Amino acid sequence: MSTADICRISGLKRTTLAQQLVRGKVAETTVVSISRALGLNPAESLANFSTFADLTRLAQPPTPAELVSQVATMDLLQAVITRSAADPKDGSGTLRALSPAPHATSVRNWVDAIDDGELRHRVSAATGVAPQNYSAQLTANRLSPELAVATSRAGGVGLTGGLVATGLITEAEAGWPVDARQSALDALSDGELVALAGERLQALGKTLRRQEQEQAQTEKIWENLG
Amino acid sequence: MISALQWSTLFVCALVALFRTPSALRGENRSLFGVFALATFAVMLSIESNYTVIDAWLGSHNYANLLLRFVIYGTVLLAGYKIARGFGHPTTVPLLLGPVGLSVLAVIALATIVPFLMANTAGTSVGMAAIPDQSEDNRQLIRLYTAAGRLYPAYVAGCLLPATVGAMRSRLPGLVRSGAAVLSVGAAAMILLVFGELLPGPLVFLQYFISSTAVLGLVAGLALIWLGRVAARRGSRNYPSLADAHRAPGQENIAAEEL
Repeated sequence: MSTADICRISGLKRTTLAQQLVRGKVAETTVVSISRALGLNPAESLANFSTFADLTRLAQPPTPAELVSQVATMDLLQAVITRSAADPKDGSGTLRALSPAPHATSVRNWVDAIDDGELRHRVSAATGVAPQNYSAQLTANRLSPELAVATSRAGGVGLTGGLVATGLITEAEAGWPVDARQSALDALSDGELVALAGERLQALGKTLRRQEQEQAQTEKIWENLG
Repeated sequence: MISALQWSTLFVCALVALFRTPSALRGENRSLFGVFALATFAVMLSIESNYTVIDAWLGSHNYANLLLRFVIYGTVLLAGYKIARGFGHPTTVPLLLGPVGLSVLAVIALATIVPFLMANTAGTSVGMAAIPDQSEDNRQLIRLYTAAGRLYPAYVAGCLLPATVGAMRSRLPGLVRSGAAVLSVGAAAMILLVFGELLPGPLVFLQYFISSTAVLGLVAGLALIWLGRVAARRGSRNYPSLADAHRAPGQENIAAEEL
């Protein structure tokens, strides 16, 4: 199969792939796209590269905390409302399907879910990435695949969790059971669920307030200088 | 070389002022057009061929240079006021227009006018470096006059720098931050210009580069911020919303780290 064929079936731009091949550095996203196009499991394909060699070998199921971290905030709130319905079997209380991972704050929520308080230091020590750069990536809701795997290692959890949280591979590709997130969500006690939803709302409120302040500042600049 | 630099600076300023004309005619933020127009006029007046013509018309006593000084004061004051208001630094506006700011302006205006009137300024000379009367006293007076002329832009620039540098490091839209960065470069150049007199003889020509940087930094910085608004009007995303905050990352958001 030629490079052109690969680009055609995977939807990659030919120039992009050619450039990556010339430089001898192929992006993880490229490997994932090609694997999907060829009907291969992206996680297994990534495992062919040394950085990700133990990706599938050390596969272990995600922890309940990791699973719940990949439930979108609005789905958590939905669960709170559903549970608070007087009669759980009432029509309005029927569960709707969870939106697929990743969600708007999935990366930070995932790291928080596996963080024992020292995780960031261990990741930083293992990879040489400065803590503030790491935090900046979390705030932007992203994490390079290498760092995601390093974080999993440092957290002692399955190596695919971070790749799901960053959206590089899907839950199914990572080998998560179809209803794993829903089951983990259902297993939360009311107290745990409400406390978690509260934390998420608080974080969301902070983000929105900051955005609103930035917006107000921008408006003021443009009012005077636009 | 220097002439080419000055004419290209003039070209940029005139172009920006021209582009700003339609919105000024519509009545939108006319003071911004005022800044561009004044900057264009100042650059035009500092070019030798234009200066010679205008000064001849004003009586060949270098009153054109005095006019240039006050055009510059007006430009930096107007631009400084708008920038301070826009970037919302609480201490900047009083520093420019409060008792302190107005006293500084008054003292510098006096320090500009008095030496000028005391000196013998006959004989058109752009920059007044080569006027016929080269007596020691006269040269001292001219030097004082020139130094005073550079002090006010430097004062305004110093007041603005904390605000523009702050905005540069904020999370404001990209074009606004780039604009703030360019404004900061311009402000730094205005401050550097005060020390232009200290440049050793062979390096005196650097002054032209520094002053061009100052003008271009001001004009281009403001133009970038204005461009940011134009871009924002065209874009859809103007107000933060819940829906927005909860958009899941697409594949394109994943850092394209490479193996």
